[in-house]
Amino acid sequence: MKVEASSSGHNMQPLLKVENLVKRYAKPSLADAREELLALNGVSFSIFPGTTLAVVGESGSGKSTLAACLACLESPTIGSIWYEGQDLVKLREPARRLVRPKLQLIFQDPASSLNPRWSVLEILLEPMVLQRNFSRKDNFTRQEMNERANSLLERVGLSPDIVRRPPTELSGGQRQRLAIARALALEPKLLILDEALSALDCSVQAQIANLLMELQNSQGMTYVFITHDLAMAAYLADEIAVMDGGRIVEQGAPEKILKLPQQETTRQLLAAVPRIARSAPPSVEQ
Amino acid sequence: MRYLLRRIGHAIFLLAGVSLLTFLFTALAPGTYLDEMRLNPQIAPETVAALRAQYGLDKPLPVRYVDWLNSVLHGEMGFSFAYNSPVAPLLLVRARNTLLLTITATLLAWAIALPLGVWSAERLGRLPDRLLSWGTAALMVIPDLALALGLLLFAVRSGWFPSGGMASLDMETLSALSTLRDLAWHMVLPVTALVLTALPLLVRHVRAAVAEVLHTPFLLAAVGHGIPRHTLLYRYALAAAANPLISLFGFSIGALLSGSLLIEVVMSWPGLGPLLLEAILSRDLYVVVGGILFSTIFLVGGNFLADLLLYWADPRIRTQSGVR
Amino acid sequence: MSARRAFAKWLAALAVLHGMVVCAGFFAPYDPVDQDRKSPYLPPMRIHLVDTQGHLHFRPFVYSPRLREGSFDQYEEDTAEPHPVTFFQSGTRYRLLGFLPCRRHFFGVEHTRIYLLGTDAYGRDQFSRFLFGGQVSLLAGLLGAGLTLLMGLGIGAAAGYYGGWTDGLLMRLAELFLALPWLYLLFALRAFLPLAVSPLKAFFLVIAVIGMVGWARPARLVRGVVLSAKERDYVRAARGFGASPGYLLRHHILPETYSVLLTQAAILIPQYVLAEMALSFLGLGVPEPVPTWGNQLSSLQHYSVLVSYWWMYLPALFMVPFFLGYLGLASSLQEREEAYKIEAGVLGA
Repeated sequence: MKVEASSSGHNMQPLLKVENLVKRYAKPSLADAREELLALNGVSFSIFPGTTLAVVGESGSGKSTLAACLACLESPTIGSIWYEGQDLVKLREPARRLVRPKLQLIFQDPASSLNPRWSVLEILLEPMVLQRNFSRKDNFTRQEMNERANSLLERVGLSPDIVRRPPTELSGGQRQRLAIARALALEPKLLILDEALSALDCSVQAQIANLLMELQNSQGMTYVFITHDLAMAAYLADEIAVMDGGRIVEQGAPEKILKLPQQETTRQLLAAVPRIARSAPPSVEQ
Repeated sequence: MRYLLRRIGHAIFLLAGVSLLTFLFTALAPGTYLDEMRLNPQIAPETVAALRAQYGLDKPLPVRYVDWLNSVLHGEMGFSFAYNSPVAPLLLVRARNTLLLTITATLLAWAIALPLGVWSAERLGRLPDRLLSWGTAALMVIPDLALALGLLLFAVRSGWFPSGGMASLDMETLSALSTLRDLAWHMVLPVTALVLTALPLLVRHVRAAVAEVLHTPFLLAAVGHGIPRHTLLYRYALAAAANPLISLFGFSIGALLSGSLLIEVVMSWPGLGPLLLEAILSRDLYVVVGGILFSTIFLVGGNFLADLLLYWADPRIRTQSGVR
Repeated sequence: MSARRAFAKWLAALAVLHGMVVCAGFFAPYDPVDQDRKSPYLPPMRIHLVDTQGHLHFRPFVYSPRLREGSFDQYEEDTAEPHPVTFFQSGTRYRLLGFLPCRRHFFGVEHTRIYLLGTDAYGRDQFSRFLFGGQVSLLAGLLGAGLTLLMGLGIGAAAGYYGGWTDGLLMRLAELFLALPWLYLLFALRAFLPLAVSPLKAFFLVIAVIGMVGWARPARLVRGVVLSAKERDYVRAARGFGASPGYLLRHHILPETYSVLLTQAAILIPQYVLAEMALSFLGLGVPEPVPTWGNQLSSLQHYSVLVSYWWMYLPALFMVPFFLGYLGLASSLQEREEAYKIEAGVLGA
């Protein structure tokens, strides 16, 4: 359980403010009729710097769509995402490109988020190469880029002699560390972790979670932690938001959510948690 | 039912699209044609001018297409300069001959490929299968042209088969049965050539499709039920492999049609192939366009037949279109 | 991996065969357009080791041909004088690889001419014509395949990446092209272009026509690869750093298509060589006197040739090793693709 109360962040400005995000998909189904899918149905929240917001929900609740929108990989149909005074949704790509490195997404499957034909070094260098292509002032030399790659590896606890290897030769935990290292390449302020621990073994999950905590403590990293695992969320988060059907149905501090779940959804998620993880049995009657 | 309607619509779209494409091809070189005709002393300049007006070559392109399409749908496909007759009847006779050849070859090729493929799939990896694989490979590496010429050479040297044509010179005097026999005798070489060019690919694909099915759980369960081998192979395995095979059937029709062009020319079989070639060499525009159109009609028709077969054979397609 | 070794083996075999064709000037004893009007329709010469007196010679030798008494096309050997086959001798001038002037040939004879595959109506050496003809036919196949794959790559990538109506339009167009029997389409395309052109122009015309006929199938394959590659997480991650579509295509998506394209190349090249042969055989391709494998066989259209001069068919058999090489290459490439897929799957990709 997180020791720090979330109140410490309230005196500062939110890092990210999401207002009424709506995402509508026109899904062509087998029968060729246009079906509309409302993946996000009015999501609003704020995140404060140095904190972790966990977004918990079942599959289909809209979590991944939210992650994609936050990372600017998808555009919401309606809504705003405020970051440092700018609405990311309304930004045009050249300007948005400058902001992108600050909001990075870590994917669920470490195998598919790293190009198997590339080497570790190439994967780490990619953000810097891309940045170099965009802005004149961030002109890294080869030397600088290699050095930074090595220091990134160190920071996530990987040995520098894997640089020439392809990611297929790494374990799941190592790959996820590499994905985190890549995300850190251009000094992001916010990491969006889309089920980033779900595909890992339990012990590896703990290791990566600790790495993330350490990064937060030392650098003040902010996280949006998306998961279906309420126990993991309670362990890591300062605030939990429960999603269902594209909206946030309940939000609050972890203790509150775990002890006094208001919504049916929350209760079902809670019921899925093994007894050992809970601090107290949930109260059924209100 | 909806599936069938979709496929019909699709076929019509293909035919319309192809007609547009071929028409565009002709329209792309109109000047060249009439200029060449003007240079040709056999054609009077008045004829050229009249043709120009008649075929509305000074009208805008879309109008010309619609006019041409209109006349085609009425069975009027233009005029052949080389044969000095309307194109449609010319094409129909030749088309019939090509169909005769192609359909016979298709049926024969599949009749051989299916048992061979199944037999090979049963003995996958063992010596008989490997021998067959080498055999099909050997057949595949002989260029179609070389195969046709080789058969022709054999015919000429051995004298067992006619070296071309569709009928013997004394055809008129023969009885109905003898005419049929004569026809069959003339058909042997071109059909053999076509079948041999198509066979290797068919056998390989049948073998692959059946082999995949032979190791599925449902077939093993059938074995467990004690179903006799022959029924197993043909009614169970082949039926399960029907999907890719029916698509292959559609594809094989196209391949055989293309192949028939060359073989008809080499073996002097009076089909669409030699007609098309002559028309090209003598710049007989409307015959060329008509020939392309006919061959495409056959191809699209054949594929539609394959779609029908699929509909009949695969219950999933029937139910899928019913479910909403 | 044995699939990799098989691929290397076939590639090596093809390289050797193509090498012989590329260096046709060296391996062929004569110029392909060189006519020997005194010896039309000569059957292939026999190479002897033992002469008529029963002596064994060290070097293989041939006899000069001589017209038989009272015949105008039957030949017999003039056994008076054996002519040994010489190797690496100086002979007619040629340009190796098109620019290096050379005189040395792999084999030849002095004082007479050696015709391994006989001669045609103009007394031209069929063996030399076969080697030089291979240059034209194989090159046409290679370039044609290159053109088709380029078109397929461009169109397939555009359809797969941009989706929407671009995809719909391009794929409908592809279906149309696939609905036409390809040889008919080939001939039709050729028909609407000028017929009597110079050999060089005809060569490029043939390549253009062949290349433009077959783009549909490769385009579909490329589109499939691009569609699946586009959604991979590492592509989204790169987008997350602001990568442009051009960057994504060049560095992440298109490399996935290379193995498909390579396999298609191995399948298309022999098909296209065949297409060139068909066109030239029928007089719609590269015209005389430039030899191609197609027009070399065209004399076989005449009944008289089939009856009396059967050896004109031999070049067709000599073409088989080339097609075999391409078939082997294509098979080993397909196996390699399968093996790679299994590898990638096992390692949890």
